[in-house]
Amino acid sequence: MGNQELVTIVPWTLIAQLLNLFLQMFLIKKFLFKPIRNVLQKRKELADAQIAEATKAKDEALAMKSEYEKNLSDAREKAGDILATAQKSATKQSEDILREANEQAIALKAKAEKDIAQEKRKAVNEIKDEIGDMAIEIAGKVIERELSAKDHEKLIDEFIEKVGEQS
Amino acid sequence: MDVNITGPKVLWTSPWSIPVLGPFRLTETILISWVVMALITLLCIWLTHDLKVEKVTKRQAFAEMLVETADKFVIGNMGEKFAYFVPFVAALFATSLVSNLIGLFGVWSPTADLNTEAAWAIVVFTIITSQKIKAGGLGGYLKGFTQPIAVLTPFNVLSELATPVSMACRHFGNILSGVVISTLVYGALAVASSKLLGLIPGAVGAVLSHVPILSVGVPAILSVYFDWFSGVMQAYIFCMLTTMYIANAAEG
Repeated sequence: MGNQELVTIVPWTLIAQLLNLFLQMFLIKKFLFKPIRNVLQKRKELADAQIAEATKAKDEALAMKSEYEKNLSDAREKAGDILATAQKSATKQSEDILREANEQAIALKAKAEKDIAQEKRKAVNEIKDEIGDMAIEIAGKVIERELSAKDHEKLIDEFIEKVGEQS
Repeated sequence: MDVNITGPKVLWTSPWSIPVLGPFRLTETILISWVVMALITLLCIWLTHDLKVEKVTKRQAFAEMLVETADKFVIGNMGEKFAYFVPFVAALFATSLVSNLIGLFGVWSPTADLNTEAAWAIVVFTIITSQKIKAGGLGGYLKGFTQPIAVLTPFNVLSELATPVSMACRHFGNILSGVVISTLVYGALAVASSKLLGLIPGAVGAVLSHVPILSVGVPAILSVYFDWFSGVMQAYIFCMLTTMYIANAAEG
């Protein structure tokens, strides 16, 4: 036993402390810096991967958005086309209907005029007959004698013609 | 009462002997250094077990903080290209700090032995010199000693050698002065309390005079400065000077 002097250089101790320092450096490197740097590196990689993923997702979303916008504008255009077509066809249809209705009205008017003319003619004939009969009766009563059939007819015709001219 | 301030105890002397170096003597310095290294290494292992990438524990956060602080210190003082010095500076700081503070437990502080600081200073001096030669070439390095005029060469050599000597002695002196002063204070207080309590007459005084009652309290206050403050400061200063000198040397 015994004591080393207080202030002295002992080569052995010096060498030992030198080796101890290097050993300590190695130990700290192995047991503190290496594992911590590993985990920090892993965390950085994870963060990088997440950022890359987020960027990718954003790009995809933007692409999708532009696609949707394109689709939307396409759809708007199509809708406009459809609307225009529908309007055109509706106009045409309404014109057709109007024209048809006009034609029908004209046809109806023509038919009605024809009917009226026919009715008129019929009425005239009927009146003619009636007037003929009445005339014969009146004439018979006036003359108080029977006229011969031949005279009758002659008289009637004359009368009718006169009536016809007047009507 | 005798107060002895001596160097570390020699625990074992080898029976063999090597020329020049003499027989190997296992001193307290070496033994406690191994204890210090074991403590640091165990702390590192404890800090870094079960590391996770996400949801870190406080323990892991502390370990990461230590690494980042060491990185910041070294890279801040020396630049990015010296990042590989981080483990060396960290080992220097940790060993110095734990060696200084282990004295608080009443054991021999390895840094109270000049050999420890001398060994560190030799390593730092070697690195400084190699960086200087790397920066300016061997010729440039040697020529640097004759600047600004050849007459100054001895002084330049002296100032170059003063760097490691001053580094080692600064650290050693601070720690040793702490040891010396606390030993003196302990001794003085023991004598004072013995005399004070010896004034009590009879057997009570005789018994109490052997109890160094004044040694309680006062040395603890001194230890705040000499062990805690000085211990942390010297570790920091040594590392600071190491990084500064090496960075300066590399600039040429």
